[in-house]
Amino acid sequence: MKLTHSILELDWDEVEVKIERFIREYVKKSKTAGVVLGLSGGIDSSTLAAISARAIGGDKVWCLLLFEQETYNVQDVKHAKLVARKFKLKTATIDITPTINAFSKTIPIFDSKDRLCKGNIKARTRNTYLYYYANKLNLLVCGSSDKSETMIGYFTKWGDIAADIAPLMDLYKTQVRKLAQHIGVPKEIITKPATPSLWPNQSAEKEIGIKYGTLDLILYGLEHFMKSEEIAKHLKVKQTLVNNLKCRWLSMEHKRRMPLTAKIQYRTIGFDYRLPREFATLEEKEA
Amino acid sequence: MKEEFKIALSQISCKRGDKTANIKKMENNVKKAKKRGADMVIFPELALTGYTVRDELYELAETIPGKSTETLEKLAKQTRMYIIFGMPELSEKTQATIYNSAVCVGPEGYVGKYRKMHLPTHSIFEEKRYFRPGYQVTTLETELGKIGLIICYDIYFPELCRLNRLKGSQLIVCISASPAIRRSFFETLTLARAIENTAFLAYVNLVGVEDGLQFWGGSRLVSPSGRLIAKGKYDEEDFLMGEVNYADIKPVEIFVPTIKDLRPELFDELKESARNL
Repeated sequence: MKLTHSILELDWDEVEVKIERFIREYVKKSKTAGVVLGLSGGIDSSTLAAISARAIGGDKVWCLLLFEQETYNVQDVKHAKLVARKFKLKTATIDITPTINAFSKTIPIFDSKDRLCKGNIKARTRNTYLYYYANKLNLLVCGSSDKSETMIGYFTKWGDIAADIAPLMDLYKTQVRKLAQHIGVPKEIITKPATPSLWPNQSAEKEIGIKYGTLDLILYGLEHFMKSEEIAKHLKVKQTLVNNLKCRWLSMEHKRRMPLTAKIQYRTIGFDYRLPREFATLEEKEA
Repeated sequence: MKEEFKIALSQISCKRGDKTANIKKMENNVKKAKKRGADMVIFPELALTGYTVRDELYELAETIPGKSTETLEKLAKQTRMYIIFGMPELSEKTQATIYNSAVCVGPEGYVGKYRKMHLPTHSIFEEKRYFRPGYQVTTLETELGKIGLIICYDIYFPELCRLNRLKGSQLIVCISASPAIRRSFFETLTLARAIENTAFLAYVNLVGVEDGLQFWGGSRLVSPSGRLIAKGKYDEEDFLMGEVNYADIKPVEIFVPTIKDLRPELFDELKESARNL
């Protein structure tokens, strides 16, 4: 296998159809009125909003623009509104600054210099808003995590990752960009640098320490059981870089799973309790 | 024995865990097939329960014959049609030994069953966790001739279709629950199995989305020369009819005589090599 960018090419018509069907079917089966997602104006959430609208109609896609003072970016707001207009989405703009401030005031050990801990509060707070809308309006929370960030654990545990469905999670970041292009997400959103917006001027690529184009090929190699040295050789990168990413990928599994418990009884959640996600309920069977 | 007959390929989605609803859907399609003059109607793998039912299999599995097969048996007798469908089969001798089986009922009642021999337990599949593999090739004796049954992943193993053909099957029925990521494989293999055995091959796949898995449909009836007699839609429910005429086999068998040219001595070597892999 040759690790070149062409290997990440997919049949985008087919990918679009599959993701749209996935969203449509899940909404139908869960008997919900639509989906709700956090729209930041970034590539992942914009693509998710757009494809959700194509799947079930923009009037069934609630997009929350959950901005806060510290990371407020005029360009992102503009982009989020642009997507909302283009795909006729339902929106609500909420300033979450007072909520974040309430945490900082009430957590006894709050450390304003620890930007990671504070940033994670932001991600979890955004999620709380999403789930409020989901509960109140009978919606599914639609997560915008992509495969690159999920694999390396570049997300907040129980924060941005927490959702009912994550339609883009099997696409690497560079593939999300291709899909975005295919479904008509505005170009300026596709080309701008990614950021999780946890603190001012945060750049995903700077933090991860590698460009998404290379990261995705390394992860693709790992996905396909290639050895670190093979991947490094193909991509002409240092083997330590590949090894570090591999370690990061493996060590972050705890962020991708339900909490671990001690196996004590006959069937245990997370171990050997294996049930289908949706199932005909007794009521349905009797009806 | 009928040499010429119509087959209905019933490409359905299933309501997981709801046998009553799935049987109802099957009944409707059997009646529809009857109206269109079919002698046989085929449903996908595990059509009685849905494919991704996991631990619930222990509750849903039934013996064969059993309650569900008896319902379908009555229907087959009433409509004078052969019905082939998939279901989890509970062994009569144990309480939790299950097979992934294909059942055939017909105008004469219960005809036979096949227990899936190759159970995929890789990638997203976990069949060996739940099912015991079958140990016998099934070639059914029917009024429509000898019919070989295989299930989904079995199609990757040409020896099974070959054996069915050598036992006299001119029609091979493959019921399936294949997710979309494998579509290109099945589209190739269904043609290959028909061509290399100079036999008709009826492939019926599931559709719908179960736990994120999208089953691609694309059911087909393939002629012995690899021609698509009928082809179902991708990804959505479909109901298609196709005609089998066993007389079509002869010219193909003369044109590419794969059965005549078989070399049995290779099979001994094959067996030995497979054992010592």
